[in-house]
Amino acid sequence: MSILISADSRIMIQGITGRRGRFHASEMLKAGSQIVGGTSPGKGGDWCDDLHLPVFDTVSDCVDATNADVSLIFVPPHSTADAILEAIDRGVKTIISITGSIPLQDMMIVKSALKNSDSILVGPNSPGVLVPGIAYAGIFPNGIALQGNIGVISRSGTLCYEVVDTLKQEGLGVSTAVGIGDDPVIGIDYLTCLELFEADPHTDQIVLIGGPGGDSELRAATFIMENVTKPVIAYVVGENLPTSILRPFFSRSGSLSLNSLGKKTGALKDAGVLMASKLSDIPAMIKR
Amino acid sequence: MGLEQFMKLPEYKAKSILRNAGIPLPASTLATNAVQVKRIAAEIGYPVVLKAQTLEPGRGRAGGVRIVQNEHEIEKISNQIFKLVLNQHPVQFILVEKALTFSKEYYFAVISDLDVGTPLLRLSEAGGATYLEPESFKNASFVDQPVDINAGLKDFQIRGLMTRLGVDPSLWKQLQLIAHKAFDVYRQYDATLVEINSLVITQLNQLFALDARINVDSQSLFRQESLYDSFDPSYFGWDERQALKFDVDYHSFPGEIGCMVNGMGLAYLTIDQLIGLNMIPAAMIDIHGGATSTSIASSLEMLLLNPRVKVIIINIFGGMTRCDEAADGFLQVLNIGLPKKPIFIRLEGTNDDSGLDLLHKNENLTFFGTTDALVNAAVGWLRGEEQ
Repeated sequence: MSILISADSRIMIQGITGRRGRFHASEMLKAGSQIVGGTSPGKGGDWCDDLHLPVFDTVSDCVDATNADVSLIFVPPHSTADAILEAIDRGVKTIISITGSIPLQDMMIVKSALKNSDSILVGPNSPGVLVPGIAYAGIFPNGIALQGNIGVISRSGTLCYEVVDTLKQEGLGVSTAVGIGDDPVIGIDYLTCLELFEADPHTDQIVLIGGPGGDSELRAATFIMENVTKPVIAYVVGENLPTSILRPFFSRSGSLSLNSLGKKTGALKDAGVLMASKLSDIPAMIKR
Repeated sequence: MGLEQFMKLPEYKAKSILRNAGIPLPASTLATNAVQVKRIAAEIGYPVVLKAQTLEPGRGRAGGVRIVQNEHEIEKISNQIFKLVLNQHPVQFILVEKALTFSKEYYFAVISDLDVGTPLLRLSEAGGATYLEPESFKNASFVDQPVDINAGLKDFQIRGLMTRLGVDPSLWKQLQLIAHKAFDVYRQYDATLVEINSLVITQLNQLFALDARINVDSQSLFRQESLYDSFDPSYFGWDERQALKFDVDYHSFPGEIGCMVNGMGLAYLTIDQLIGLNMIPAAMIDIHGGATSTSIASSLEMLLLNPRVKVIIINIFGGMTRCDEAADGFLQVLNIGLPKKPIFIRLEGTNDDSGLDLLHKNENLTFFGTTDALVNAAVGWLRGEEQ
């Protein structure tokens, strides 16, 4: 068992004929993921030859032919919102946007559409969802994690790799790793993942990686206090950096996003979360 | 400096956008010298406000905003303002504006609520406040209203704000119009923030926008060509222009270690480790996931050419970024006669074996397996060098 995707997930790729879509489709196939096809408007009817995957013009055509229930998005940022909306419109259950740096107001339009649908969105700017040894939907490096019982949630993709790799070095395995995405506006947040991990019988402990900006870690702390019984270990990167160093990174949003600086570690600790002061300390904090 | 400034429109540009949208503003014109200031002031009529055009904070404290009552002192005051240098940026333009007398100030803004993912209207009695400094609302009442971007802004939402804040009904019609226009500007220009601070009531019970701020989303610039001219090129050094050209994030700091990473998380982690060792970087370049060998080559070139950079840290954990492509990028600039600097590198993830194969013979490079070891070694080298 796992969260968000499983061995049975039928994964399609929006942007399958692009350099990245094609490369990662091939990597995912190698890892055992069920990739069933994809879209590339104008190239419907073609085949991704070396991969033996059918290409369709629209998400609707692809779902009709393949019964895909997960869509992975690799199209360029300016057309990503349109791709997500197309997948929502066709009722694709799980949509994962690898593409990041989506125009802010495009994402607001997507968020509004998600509210009136049954689809869930992971990302944008997500590395995807990894179920080690079974399948993954995304861009995780091959063989990066061991199979196990630790659930991992991270905003940052690279830190998601970093933490599952660090766990692997110590012989510790992962049930599911989810990169929820590092764009200013994202689909599912920590709360949804925590809720799913709490209910997942194959997850015994949870590792949460936070970062500066926004207040989603504060909401996660409240949620953990009220709803999560499994042990949670967390690391908030950048929590101790001076604002003079951090501020330039927050230019894009031009908003309150540094308001919660320095408060996240305390809030998570108060919620009973074990706080790592370095990412590399995490394996030693896992209950064996 | 850099991109964050790029996304703030200068005051005169923000005001011209709002004026064209139909929001009432006092008459104003831009001037580049004291003689022009005097001529414009005579046309507009005294008293006037002279406002230094700068994107730097602290304009008022530095004496960059002055009310002038008559023509006797205007050239002298203009020249004082033109002599100001704010955070190394000399003042080049003055906005000459009609000074209004007013009885009450409001604050009105269209904000981006990133946690929920909606636009948010804010109305407050904190006239000169700004959303960018939350404490500026501390002593004043304010009311917020989220707006569904697909449904658009509705009249009842604006009425709700006005009644909750107790705005006099004689102003409702004007404020409603201003709110709609400001929201339209927010949408049309892909703004992250449209702020009218302050919105004042004149003696004739008319609302005027005295000050305005528009910040624009950097990721939407591709469809905002009309704004290209309004960004101030004096804010860009060679590094920033290179970064824009090759679509990488570049941030400059006062240290001596040049860093290149492939994601925001690794950027924070690397800086975190440096700060833990009492070091700050000279530069942090985030090449993002899936960078091409060309943009990776240009990023390394920027670090090699930066005279402040004594040692380079490359921390790549590739998912979408392919390590073989990264290696190819490094090789493009390592052997073309650029300054030699020690490069401490961690290259892991997608296609790392073939990437490492390409690089392992290069004498400038030292390889590491973890962020901890990488950062420790680079800082150790720099400390050894300083002794």
